Amino acid sequence: MRALANRWYSLSPLFRGERARVRGRRLLRRLCVCLIVAFAPSVAATASDTTPTFTPEERAAILSHGPWPKQTAPDPSNRVSGNPAAVALGRQLFFDPRLSSDQMRSCATCHDPARSFADRRDRSQGHERLDRNAIALANLRLNRWYGWSGAADSLWAQSLRPILDAKEFGMTAPMLRDRLAVDAETTRTYHALFSVDLANDVPERVLVNLAKALAAFQETIVTQRTAFDDFRDALERNDAAGMASYPLPAQRGLKLFVGKGRCMVCHFGANFTNGEFDDVGVPYFAEPGRVDSGRHGGIATLRDNPFNLLGPYNDGADATHTRHVETQHRNWGEFRVPSLRNVARTAPYMHNGSRATLADVVRHYSEVDSERLHGDDGARIIRALRLTAEERADLVAFLETLSSE
Amino acid sequence: MTGLPPAALALSAVLLAPLPSSAACPDAAQGFARLSTPEAEIAYRWQPDGLKVGQFFTMDVIACRTPDGGAVQTIIVDAQMPAHGHGMNYRPTAVASGPSQFRVSGLMLHMPGRWRMTVDLVQSDRRTQLTHDIDLKP
Repeated sequence: MRALANRWYSLSPLFRGERARVRGRRLLRRLCVCLIVAFAPSVAATASDTTPTFTPEERAAILSHGPWPKQTAPDPSNRVSGNPAAVALGRQLFFDPRLSSDQMRSCATCHDPARSFADRRDRSQGHERLDRNAIALANLRLNRWYGWSGAADSLWAQSLRPILDAKEFGMTAPMLRDRLAVDAETTRTYHALFSVDLANDVPERVLVNLAKALAAFQETIVTQRTAFDDFRDALERNDAAGMASYPLPAQRGLKLFVGKGRCMVCHFGANFTNGEFDDVGVPYFAEPGRVDSGRHGGIATLRDNPFNLLGPYNDGADATHTRHVETQHRNWGEFRVPSLRNVARTAPYMHNGSRATLADVVRHYSEVDSERLHGDDGARIIRALRLTAEERADLVAFLETLSSE
Repeated sequence: MTGLPPAALALSAVLLAPLPSSAACPDAAQGFARLSTPEAEIAYRWQPDGLKVGQFFTMDVIACRTPDGGAVQTIIVDAQMPAHGHGMNYRPTAVASGPSQFRVSGLMLHMPGRWRMTVDLVQSDRRTQLTHDIDLKP
C-alpha cells in the first residue's frame, strides 16, 4: 500500500496537458481497482464480524421477549387442568386410536412428538386432505385462541373439535363413551377425576371431560430455554461475556427483528406472538374456487360452538375475549400469528404449509405484494422489507436460535 | 389531553376505591386523569392502571362537563392505530355506573405502538368526541 501511495503522490505533475490528463485518468482507474481489490476482503470481513449495538428502544424490545420459561397457572375453564391424574389420562388418550371412527388415527398422528408435535406435511391428512397445516403443540397455556382461525377459545374445546370432525376422527360422543367405557383403567381414572361413572355419564359430558384431560396433558408440552434466552438474560444483566457467546449473525438478525423488520409488532412477548390474527399475504384459496376465510369464519364457528366459554361447560374462566370479540371485514384471510418458539423444528410454515423453510418465510416478507394486502380496507402492517441476501441470512440465523437443543 | 401522571400511577391502592357517587370530577388523588376539549371534559382511569400489550382492561369514565351541561346517555370508546390503519379486535361495551358515569370493558390493545383512543359522549341530540394518544411500549 505504501508503494501505491507514493506513486499516486508522484503522479501529480502529469496533470498539465490533455495527454497527461488521459494518462492520469487511466492510472487513477487502475489505482481505484487496485484499492478495491486490496480492501475488498477486509470490507466484507468488517460487515460480517461487527458486533451490532442496540439502542435503548431495541434493548427494551429484546427484553420484552422474556424471561423464559414463562410461569402459567392452571386453566380456570378446566377443572382438571394441572391435575396429574388428568395429565396421565390425557397422555394415554392422545396416543389412543380409539378416538377415531376407524381406529386408525390418534392425536399423535398429526401432532407427532418426534416431529415437535406436528407432522411436517404442508397440509395434514385426515380421512381426506385437510385445508391447513398442523400447528406444533407447545406452550399452549399461553394461548388466548386455538387453531389457525381461533375457532376455539379454550384448549379443551380445540381438543374435541377433530374428534367430531368428519374429515378427521369422525366420531360421535356416544361412540366415544361406549368405546372407552369397556376400559377398566380409563373408567377408574374418569370416576376419580369427575366423580361419575363413565358408562353412565351423558355422552356430551364425557366428550368434554375427556377433552379436558387431553388439554391437561397438552398443557405440559413446553419448549426449553434457547440460545436467544441466554442472550436476552445476559443483556438484561449487562453480561458482556454472556452476550458474546451468541452468534453475530443471530445478533444482527435480532436487530432486524426488533427494528427494520418490525417482526415484533405481531411476534411479540416471551412466546413471540401477540396471540391474535393477521393477513400476511399468503393466498387463502384452499383449492381453486374455494376460499379459506381464516379468522372471519373462525369467529362465526366460535359463536355457533356449544362448547365455547359462554356455554355450560366452562368451569369458571373469565370469557372476556369470547364475549367481546368482533367480526370485521379485515378478518377475511387473517390467520393466527404463530409462536416462533421452536420454529426451526416446525417446518413447513404458514397456515397452509406453503413455505417450506425459514429462508422461504423470510423471503416472503422481503418481497410480499403490498397491493394484494392493502387493496381495500386491509391493515397496513405488512410491507415488503426488501432485505439484502445477507440480511435475510441473518434473520434466519436469529430465528434458528429460538429453538431448544 | 395527557396520560395518567406519575403521581397517579403510584396510587394503585386508590384505583381500587369505588367510583365517586356523583359526576363531580375526581382528580389524580382519586386515581383519575383528565381529558378535555373546549366543549367537554372527562375524568378517566383504567384498570389495571399500567396498560400492557395484549392485556384486557376496563376504563372508568366520568363526564364532568358537557356542551350543554346536560347528562350523558352513553359513551362509545374505541381505539385505532393510525400508522397501521386498524383498530382493536374486540368491541368494548359501556355500562352506566351512575349519572354520566360509565365502566367500559373489553378493551385490549394487541400491538405495541401508537394508539389513538376516542371517547364519544352521546347526548340526545349531539355527540362529542375526545381523543387521547397512547404510546404503548413493548
